[in-house]
Amino acid sequence: MTRVLSKLAWLVVALSGAGALGAIALSRGEPVNGLFFVVAAGGTYLVAYRFYSAFIAARVLTLDATRATPAERLDDGRDFVPTNRWVVLGHHFAAIAGPGPLVGPTLAAQFGYLPGTLWLVAGAVLGGCVQDFVILFFSLRRDGRSLGQIARDEVGRRAGLLTMVSVLAIMIILLAVVALVVVNALKHSPWGAFTLAMTIPIALLMGVYMRYLRPGRVLEASAIGLALVLFAVVAGQWVAESPAWAPVFTLSGSALALTVIVYGFAASALPVWLLLAPRDYLSAFIKVAVVLALAGGILLVRPTMHMPPLTRFIDGSGPVFAGALFPFCFITIACGAVSGFHALISSGTTPKLLMRESDARLVGYGSMLMESFVGVMAMVAACALEPGVYFAINSPAGIVGATAQQAAASISAWGFALDPATMDRLAASVGEQTLLNRTGGAPSLAVGMAHIFSGTIGGERLLGIWYHFAIMFEALFILTVLDAGTRVGRFMVQELAGRYVPVIARTGSWASTLVTSAMIVGAWGYFLYQGVLDPLGGINSLWPLFGIANQILASVALVVATTILFKMGRTRHVWITLVPMAWLVTVTLTGASQKLFHEDPRIGFLSQARALEQRIADGGVPEAKLAETRHVIFNNRLDAGVTGFFALLILLLLAEAASEWYRILSGKRTTPITETPYVRSRWAEGSS
Amino acid sequence: MIARIGRGLVAVFRFVREWSGDAAYETYLARPEPGPRLSREAFYLDSLRRRYRGPSRCC
Repeated sequence: MTRVLSKLAWLVVALSGAGALGAIALSRGEPVNGLFFVVAAGGTYLVAYRFYSAFIAARVLTLDATRATPAERLDDGRDFVPTNRWVVLGHHFAAIAGPGPLVGPTLAAQFGYLPGTLWLVAGAVLGGCVQDFVILFFSLRRDGRSLGQIARDEVGRRAGLLTMVSVLAIMIILLAVVALVVVNALKHSPWGAFTLAMTIPIALLMGVYMRYLRPGRVLEASAIGLALVLFAVVAGQWVAESPAWAPVFTLSGSALALTVIVYGFAASALPVWLLLAPRDYLSAFIKVAVVLALAGGILLVRPTMHMPPLTRFIDGSGPVFAGALFPFCFITIACGAVSGFHALISSGTTPKLLMRESDARLVGYGSMLMESFVGVMAMVAACALEPGVYFAINSPAGIVGATAQQAAASISAWGFALDPATMDRLAASVGEQTLLNRTGGAPSLAVGMAHIFSGTIGGERLLGIWYHFAIMFEALFILTVLDAGTRVGRFMVQELAGRYVPVIARTGSWASTLVTSAMIVGAWGYFLYQGVLDPLGGINSLWPLFGIANQILASVALVVATTILFKMGRTRHVWITLVPMAWLVTVTLTGASQKLFHEDPRIGFLSQARALEQRIADGGVPEAKLAETRHVIFNNRLDAGVTGFFALLILLLLAEAASEWYRILSGKRTTPITETPYVRSRWAEGSS
Repeated sequence: MIARIGRGLVAVFRFVREWSGDAAYETYLARPEPGPRLSREAFYLDSLRRRYRGPSRCC
């Protein structure tokens, strides 16, 4: 009887999910409610978790709950600590969910709500969740070793080095692009800039509190910090309205970029307890609270989607970023569907905390489903905006013009009605001078979130507060990524360069810390500054570069996982990683080749460089703009070089792995599998 | 009913303390270990140093 009821319940879940997906996909003209997205995604996730992840756990990886995990065997109370699986799930989710699943879907909404939503759901259940789960499992079976170490041990020494270099390169592009999102969200916004600036002294205060006054009292310090941050959001309005203070916090893109670069250097070089850790605590609490509030808001407000399922921009002529639906939708949405960076977390802290091997399914597969749901909510928030408003906020001035009249004329000509007065009214209602040309996704997402939140609490009266709360939330945890990433990048440079110049490897040395911090900050700072100067808004060139980089890291992780599955003798089931790997390699190499060689100057880096050179040769560039144009030409060639480098990395790794697969399948000698031997868990049933 | 809600709130509070790291020092002390123990301050600094050595926050 129970079995029948269970089967019936799963049938209802599956049919609800499929029905909602069908309603989203087949709607033509009639309004679709945001609730359909929640049901479609939720139903798919539940079925995927119940059946697909169970299949991987039981048949492919054969998780063994009686096998002691590294946390149990190597328990030292510090790095290796057996921890309740729900607590580990919370840790892992807070670590993997950054700005990517919010910004990527918002940008991809230019194709309409359908492609991005389908990719978020399908990409996660078949690719992203599988990657996170298998890498976590393989790291668990190898004493919590990192992806780079696993690649070296299982594929070869060159593969280990390639993985490390790709992680460092990806980190630099990632930091530049997230910093650009912050700069674009805060430029000419005294309210936003003040609020974010205030988070620095608040974090310092929390740092001193947790270091000297009440050591390690995270909850107390976070409660104080949270209250002060909320006060700063409200106080930001007074600053924005003050004739004396507003100009102080009204910063241009270049000034903000330089401020963020100096901040990044300080955060990397200062003691971790002073700025990085307190900001991280604050950001983690706000992140989880906002994600829950957004889910609740969507359920209560049930917003109607105004964006059509597909827009004309699937042909590649989009104003937000250039490039056709394939491959650019799958590159723009990386986090939320498949993110290579997660493999670093899955082979970082998480495997050192798991109490039982069987918990890897909930933590690895389950937390990625949660991140995917965050991406779906961001898509709902972006598509609930009127399309004209969405495009006016996210399109650069170089495409739609810099005034409300020009933008309204351009956007209306595309078939999305926009009255110039609408943008002025909207900007005034959220306390901004303008919302035009705020590329990067964060401002339009904040407008969408503010509408959902104000529909729940406060109404139109609180729209400005909610908008700046959302901006603060996005900027706060982007800066946390920036702080933590710069620091890790510094350690990686110290490790890599330290092989040749031993003095650099001394992590305790101030000289080494300052030099390597400057190297990392200089590298991402250069790309950030290039994005600020880019006439097409920077996001057009840097976000696809970041997407390609992140998906290449995912390909690296899946190549490593496939190799291990071959070695484990799971040839019959190797498709679980081989298929998503093949898809990602196809997407990234197609994207990379288009970014390199596409004849449309908005897509191809090299053709844009050539077009600008031609314009200079034809005398079409004014004397005053010559130096800047030459700089843009150089940057395009640099971006082309970086794209080619990423493509080369994955090709080299594929060649290395393919020769290993050939050796395994043809029965030749290969590097042995490096699993740690079985030890029975003391928590296993019947264990003595 | 009220007792159940109370137990639920205590469980949530305990979860938040564990998740945030607020309870990390108590967990460390509860674990049998030979030799002298770190002070709360030293343990806190040590845990931060370890946490931020590798990738801890994703994109």
